[in-house]
Amino acid sequence: MKFIVSSTRLLKELQIIGGIIQTTNTLPILDNFLFDLNENELTVSASDLETTMSVTLEVVSDSKGLVAIPARILLDTLKTFPEQPLTFVIDDKLTGVEVSSDYGKYALACLDGSEFPQFPELKDASSVTIPADSLAVAIQKTLFATGNDELRPVMSGVFFQFSSENLTFVATDAHKLVRYKRTDLQSENTAEFIMPKKPLNLLRQSVVVADNVEVSFNNTNACFVYENVVLNCRLIDGRYPNYDAVIPKENPNVLLIDRASLLSSIKRVSIFSNKTTHQIRLKLAGKEVNISAEDLDFSNKAHERLACDYEGEDMEIGFNSRFIIEMLNNLSSDNVRMELSAPNKAGLLIPADNVDDGEDVLMLVMPVMLNS
Amino acid sequence: MILNKDLKRASPLGRFGGAMSRSIIHMDLDTFFVSVERLIDSRLNGKPILIGGTSDRGVVAACSYEARAFGVHSAMPMRMAKEMCPEAIVIRGNSANYSKHSQDVTEIIREEVPLYEKTSVDEFYIDLTGMDKFFGNYKFASELRQRIMKETGLPISFGLSVNKTVSKVATGEAKPNNQLNIDYGTEKPFLAPLSVRKIPMVGAKTYQTLRNLGVQKIQTIQEMPLEMMTSVFGKNGEVIWRKAQGVDNSPVVQYSERKSISTERTFNKDTIDVEKLRSILIAMAENLAFQLRRGNKLTACLTVKVRYSDFNTHTLQARIPYTAADHIIIPKVKELFEKLYDRRVLVRLIGVRFSHLVGGGYQINLFDDNEEMINLYSAMDKIRQRFGDRAVQRAIGLGVKSIGGMNPFSGEPPALLPNRRR
Repeated sequence: MKFIVSSTRLLKELQIIGGIIQTTNTLPILDNFLFDLNENELTVSASDLETTMSVTLEVVSDSKGLVAIPARILLDTLKTFPEQPLTFVIDDKLTGVEVSSDYGKYALACLDGSEFPQFPELKDASSVTIPADSLAVAIQKTLFATGNDELRPVMSGVFFQFSSENLTFVATDAHKLVRYKRTDLQSENTAEFIMPKKPLNLLRQSVVVADNVEVSFNNTNACFVYENVVLNCRLIDGRYPNYDAVIPKENPNVLLIDRASLLSSIKRVSIFSNKTTHQIRLKLAGKEVNISAEDLDFSNKAHERLACDYEGEDMEIGFNSRFIIEMLNNLSSDNVRMELSAPNKAGLLIPADNVDDGEDVLMLVMPVMLNS
Repeated sequence: MILNKDLKRASPLGRFGGAMSRSIIHMDLDTFFVSVERLIDSRLNGKPILIGGTSDRGVVAACSYEARAFGVHSAMPMRMAKEMCPEAIVIRGNSANYSKHSQDVTEIIREEVPLYEKTSVDEFYIDLTGMDKFFGNYKFASELRQRIMKETGLPISFGLSVNKTVSKVATGEAKPNNQLNIDYGTEKPFLAPLSVRKIPMVGAKTYQTLRNLGVQKIQTIQEMPLEMMTSVFGKNGEVIWRKAQGVDNSPVVQYSERKSISTERTFNKDTIDVEKLRSILIAMAENLAFQLRRGNKLTACLTVKVRYSDFNTHTLQARIPYTAADHIIIPKVKELFEKLYDRRVLVRLIGVRFSHLVGGGYQINLFDDNEEMINLYSAMDKIRQRFGDRAVQRAIGLGVKSIGGMNPFSGEPPALLPNRRR
């Protein structure tokens, strides 16, 4: 088999799917890209058994064939070429690939493509079409809040909840939680599934160029189709915790504050907090919030005062500053609303402006116990 | 050759570019527990006294010089001590009392000196570097000692030299109730004629090994090449060798953070009652968890220790996310114990230790914790702070006595029995 392809075009497509390939693989063939040539259409796939991603591109060819080519060496080579046509020639016995550029020839080993793990077929799938930018934002706003606990795999993913009223995306690690809701998007059927972190990261990077994404899913797998890309992944099996029950409904104490100034204050003060717990203390009274931190081991101490709009009882509440910083970083509004009920109950962070129609963002963070 | 080169590099002068030598005092209260008891009851003066556990398993925590004349020493089983010295007066001791007197001494030292380190209830290191010109270090130290004895009524000894090791050995030589100054440059000759047992760090085991090698006097170590010591004792060999040369660069550190908290219990009679063991462990874990919360600390490593009647000691530890919550710690401690206690043999001792401590509050979990639990902890902690450690506790631990009592984060060293200190 033989085909001619633009070097930069091939590199661009391979970089989209190259992120799947792990540095150490149990199956040696997974270190390869699978090239599936069907005359003028070339489909390249990569897989880690959990996630498989493929891209389709046009090439000049009149042959057909299936071959696995080492990914690392191919990517490294492609990166060095300026734009030019490359010719790939693979002999019928699959003994090796010969690549010809303007500069010379390069030979690399290849494997029989039929040994590459097959795409799982999606049976009894239902599907929804989502605007690509909405999906990208949903992933970006939720992904950081997922957990890393191997003992609780369900929390390592993002929970997709589709209904006829809205689409909801939820992530939590049991200390913080993000609920991103789109009321302007609907699904015909009600469905829930948990998407693992890795494919979402790949999606977030590559989905932005597309207009719409077609999401189809069944109980075990989900498939995302956009532009020339198909991403197929296994879902996380298990029951997602009942997140709705832990979001406090009654929050009489409301703080309205400039997001950027709160963020920079907390960033500064948290430098002085304990390096392991990152604990800061917020003291709310009158029209002022006091942010303080101390690290007794090194006698570090910081204290700042910020003007704000606060309605509610005076109170003192402790947080892990890293959680709050992550959340404030992932919001884009000018002002945020912090809704609190008690020092030992969850605090909510909600953007106060600059929200799209149909967008509903809620971030929640659990406090740390302060001993007074 | 090596010896000279090495000495030069490690010399206390090196740290200050050869410009200045340090002056370190080591102060030690003589037979501290006995002295405190004598303050309370002067009839004890001049009599042999033993302080320590009175049960069969008890050991001597402290004894007066009169008792030492009979061959009694601390850490000896009380039963043996009573046989050797039947007329001795045995006192159980009261650690709260000792802590109080220890604090009185600390208070005086704090007032007088720029930098001190309290290594145990009755031992202090003081750094007087740079004060010689203005006060005269030996004179200053003697006056400090006189003031402590006058104001507290407790006899105290000190050694003054260029570093901690030499000062500590000097204190040992000065005792009882005396003082000793080792002039700069005379450290080596001072140490040379002494037994190797006097080097801090040389315990019974190391001593035995050294004696088997035919080493008795520190002078022999001084003359040995460093390589010989490291080949026998590994890394420690180098440290011992340096100390024998009178070289010790360790600084006087005022405050050292507690790295772990622990509690353990030796039974009067070995037991195989698993229910009892379990309830003791729970009571221990509950009390330590309270100490954590009171000290505003979190732990990330739990260790359970079991010593069987044949003195085989087994420990098992587990890393957990930072926590100070009973409902995470207690089940984990139970789990460790179930895994650890696999020999159906009588148990002599059990213990629990929390390490990897860090300052901070407990991060509340969205799904595992609920408001009632969190409120319950703060309510129970409030009761305990006001009415004592054992004012409220889990019913399973009710039968367990003598656990808790001390605040491990007060900055004071624990009032441990001297035999446990090493």
